[in-house]
Amino acid sequence: MNPLLQFPFVGLGPQLCLGAGLLAALAAGMSQRLPRGFLRAVVLFVLASSTLLAGLTVPGAYGPLIRIDGLGVSWQFLFYLGAVPYALSLAEDEVPAALALGSVLGMALLAVSGNLLMLFIGLEFMSLPAYLLVSRGGGRSGQAEEAAVKYFFAGGLAGALFLLGMALYYAATKSLALVGAAGTMAEAGVALMGVAALFKLGAVPLHFWLPDAYEAASPELAGLMSTSMKSAGLLLLLRLLALTPSSEFAACLPALGALTAVVGAISALRQERLQRLLAYSSIAHAGNLVLGAGAWAAQGALPAGTAPLFFYLASYAFMSNGAFAFLRASGIGSRAELKGYALRAPLKAALFAALLLALAGIPPTAGFLAKLLIFWEAVKAGLWAPVAGAGLAALLSLGYYLGLIRDMYFEESRAPSKTPIEVSAAFSGVVWACAVPAAVLGLAPWLVGGLAGWLAP
Amino acid sequence: MRLLTALWALPVLGGFAALGWRKDPRGAALGFSVLVLLACALPLLRLDALSSLSEAGPVWAWGIRYRLGVDGLSLALCGLTAFLTVISILGSWKQEFSPGYWAAFLFLEGALMGVFLARDVFFFYIFWEAVLIPMFFIIGLWGSEGRRHAAIKFFLFTFFGSVFLLLGLLALVTRHHQTTGVWTWDMDALRGGASGPAALATFAAVMIGFAVKVPVVPLHTWLPDAHTEAPAAGSVMLAGVLLKMGVYGIVRVALPAFPELSRSLLPWLGACAAINVIYGALCAMAQTDLKRLVAYSSVAHLGFCLLGVFSRTPEGLAGGSLQLINHGLTTGALFLMVGFLYERSHRRGIADFGELAGRAPWLAFFFGFSVFASIGLPGLNGFVGEFMSLAGMTRVLPSLAVAGVAGVTMAAAYLLPAYQAVFWGAAGPEAASARVTDLDSRERGLLWSLSLLMLLIGLCPGPWLRLVSGAAAAAVLP
Repeated sequence: MNPLLQFPFVGLGPQLCLGAGLLAALAAGMSQRLPRGFLRAVVLFVLASSTLLAGLTVPGAYGPLIRIDGLGVSWQFLFYLGAVPYALSLAEDEVPAALALGSVLGMALLAVSGNLLMLFIGLEFMSLPAYLLVSRGGGRSGQAEEAAVKYFFAGGLAGALFLLGMALYYAATKSLALVGAAGTMAEAGVALMGVAALFKLGAVPLHFWLPDAYEAASPELAGLMSTSMKSAGLLLLLRLLALTPSSEFAACLPALGALTAVVGAISALRQERLQRLLAYSSIAHAGNLVLGAGAWAAQGALPAGTAPLFFYLASYAFMSNGAFAFLRASGIGSRAELKGYALRAPLKAALFAALLLALAGIPPTAGFLAKLLIFWEAVKAGLWAPVAGAGLAALLSLGYYLGLIRDMYFEESRAPSKTPIEVSAAFSGVVWACAVPAAVLGLAPWLVGGLAGWLAP
Repeated sequence: MRLLTALWALPVLGGFAALGWRKDPRGAALGFSVLVLLACALPLLRLDALSSLSEAGPVWAWGIRYRLGVDGLSLALCGLTAFLTVISILGSWKQEFSPGYWAAFLFLEGALMGVFLARDVFFFYIFWEAVLIPMFFIIGLWGSEGRRHAAIKFFLFTFFGSVFLLLGLLALVTRHHQTTGVWTWDMDALRGGASGPAALATFAAVMIGFAVKVPVVPLHTWLPDAHTEAPAAGSVMLAGVLLKMGVYGIVRVALPAFPELSRSLLPWLGACAAINVIYGALCAMAQTDLKRLVAYSSVAHLGFCLLGVFSRTPEGLAGGSLQLINHGLTTGALFLMVGFLYERSHRRGIADFGELAGRAPWLAFFFGFSVFASIGLPGLNGFVGEFMSLAGMTRVLPSLAVAGVAGVTMAAAYLLPAYQAVFWGAAGPEAASARVTDLDSRERGLLWSLSLLMLLIGLCPGPWLRLVSGAAAAAVLP
């Protein structure tokens, strides 16, 4: 093997690239005259090259803190992919660009950490910019600040729990390395850290901060939070579960996931604001992910078994980003404004309908295959009751996904009222780029099969 | 040539053509649907080698494999789908609809073809669900007053069944893997004799999935709303083809996978079918809306199909399968004519009409013809299917067959008075009969083709029975 590739900096290529991009964005802020769209180009370039570099990294341990494996590399693709729509929304202001890159850098660190301390650093690095980004959101006066404070305190609590769990784990094993452990104290430590991951995922009952934060954020920021950051939360959960796959904490997850899916779906039924509705829908999807993580742990937490979760996250990255981008592209904020939209803009309405059907998991969309694979893993693990619960949630979720389609297509058109969301024509392209894969990826199970083979060492 | 793939891909292509070709979407839709109908006739030329006609791709992942196959039963249902699609498109020819309407029918046709051709459970399920999307829009966009509610209800109910179906299929596949160590979704490989409590739960889940579609009482409540609120052509496709998916799924998937259970549970299953016959008939008697009456008559008629199929005898399977085709033709014709009436008068109530026989003699003729076929008059198609279904059930559970015979009588009791009131009875002061004109040549042509087929099956059932009976028996009986 080329000795240069063993050099840690090569292994950390994506992280270095993101860090350089962060500094470049801050430096660009000091310049008075920048060409329009410069920041956007920088961030997109950084994301693209990070993706490329992540693909080039060689698996292995780089010192005590860094460990690169297939799981971490594949999840990095999710982080960078999910952040692209947000990068497209960047304007002249350099602060959001730097914050977003910082958050993605945190995720990237989380992906390559081989040590609990690194995991914690990645987690905090990812979360802190997100609080600030939420607080900068528009909306009603004070709403963004309130949501950001709520989000911050929830995140702070999660961080504290993580530290406490880490202390317990260290007391039990005398090490912070990510290697398997046994014993009640170690399991308790992992459970506490796992709760922090559930906070980030928005699992019930730790989801209270999520709808406010998503509603206060701009649509594309909500897209970033629901895709890249959820992927990071799940990766954290998977890393922790791999330590003690047969713990009681892992055994609780399927039921918790089903509960999350049902609560999320029921709450979404009553929402009028679309961004809040999609926030609750993301809670329901997180429920499926937690169920999948539990099923994965129940089957021994093998690396190849994460392929269904990866596929779920990848398809959700298209579906969720596409749905939030639709809000930006159409300027629609509430269900009332959606009424009769199909007559006003048939093409955009069709794309949004395709995204909604994918979110609902109707064949042949990507959402269907994603749900099927998760349910299947759970069936293999014999988790019948949680699967039935998640199936019920899928049925309930039709109530609002179909409801939105009904609003768009079957209701009379009315004049669009004053919208709080600023319309951006460029986002039509994002909607296209998300809706098409979301609609057809369900017919590509071999992609997942290949991925499973690649993830297995 | 990938003929079977073409059978579902061609309509989908036609759907996009109808959307894209702004000049004449209606013409594009008709052209493609006729093409598909002709393509359906091609496998008939190789009828002797029909069961070996199949197409398969490589295994994708976890045993999922694109595999299509055709036998007499599949071919008959594909032919019915293609035929009724042409009828539906021509039946709504004069109405001003957007391109989406014509495209939706072709998408629907493509998905239905896929359901009847798929030999891999995964693809079967994909096509099964894909059917919902065009139908949802057909009801919700182009239906009558209560369409929004009916469309959502239709989707939610059938999706409710689909969740059960999916879980059942997953359990079936996983169980097969546990016993043999092989991942496969292939229908032929999944045949087998599972028993025990786990198998019972799996069987129940799969059956609930199919029962919602049939529909089996008490899971039928979506049907009257959906059929009544859908546009006429949508009702033709709903009653003519969509309901057949449920019975087809039972014959193709549920009974072969659980031979022991379906035999031991025969009294329960048969009782459900008999309840369908009686309950559907009783509900139909109480209707004042012509379209709702025909909708409930479908519940009753599908009960006959189930009686035949659940008997697991060669006669019953042949009769039940043939009855699927028969019901598609007769109910299709009835919904079409109710649609013609509605187009002219914007009324559907039985009391809204009277003395129509004098004003519209052709309509009266065809309506009467279809009513008699639906009742099961000897010499027409309904008789053959119902007789053989009941004959099959008589061999295993005569008491249920008696209930079925009562259902035949009741069919006369709800269809004939309605027919009499609409066409021969005195018109009330509020009646809309004056607005009803007789059928034009296009409409007559459509109904001639349907009626001649009914007569042909009734007078000469042999070839039709041979087409479906071998396939149904081979699918179910060991």
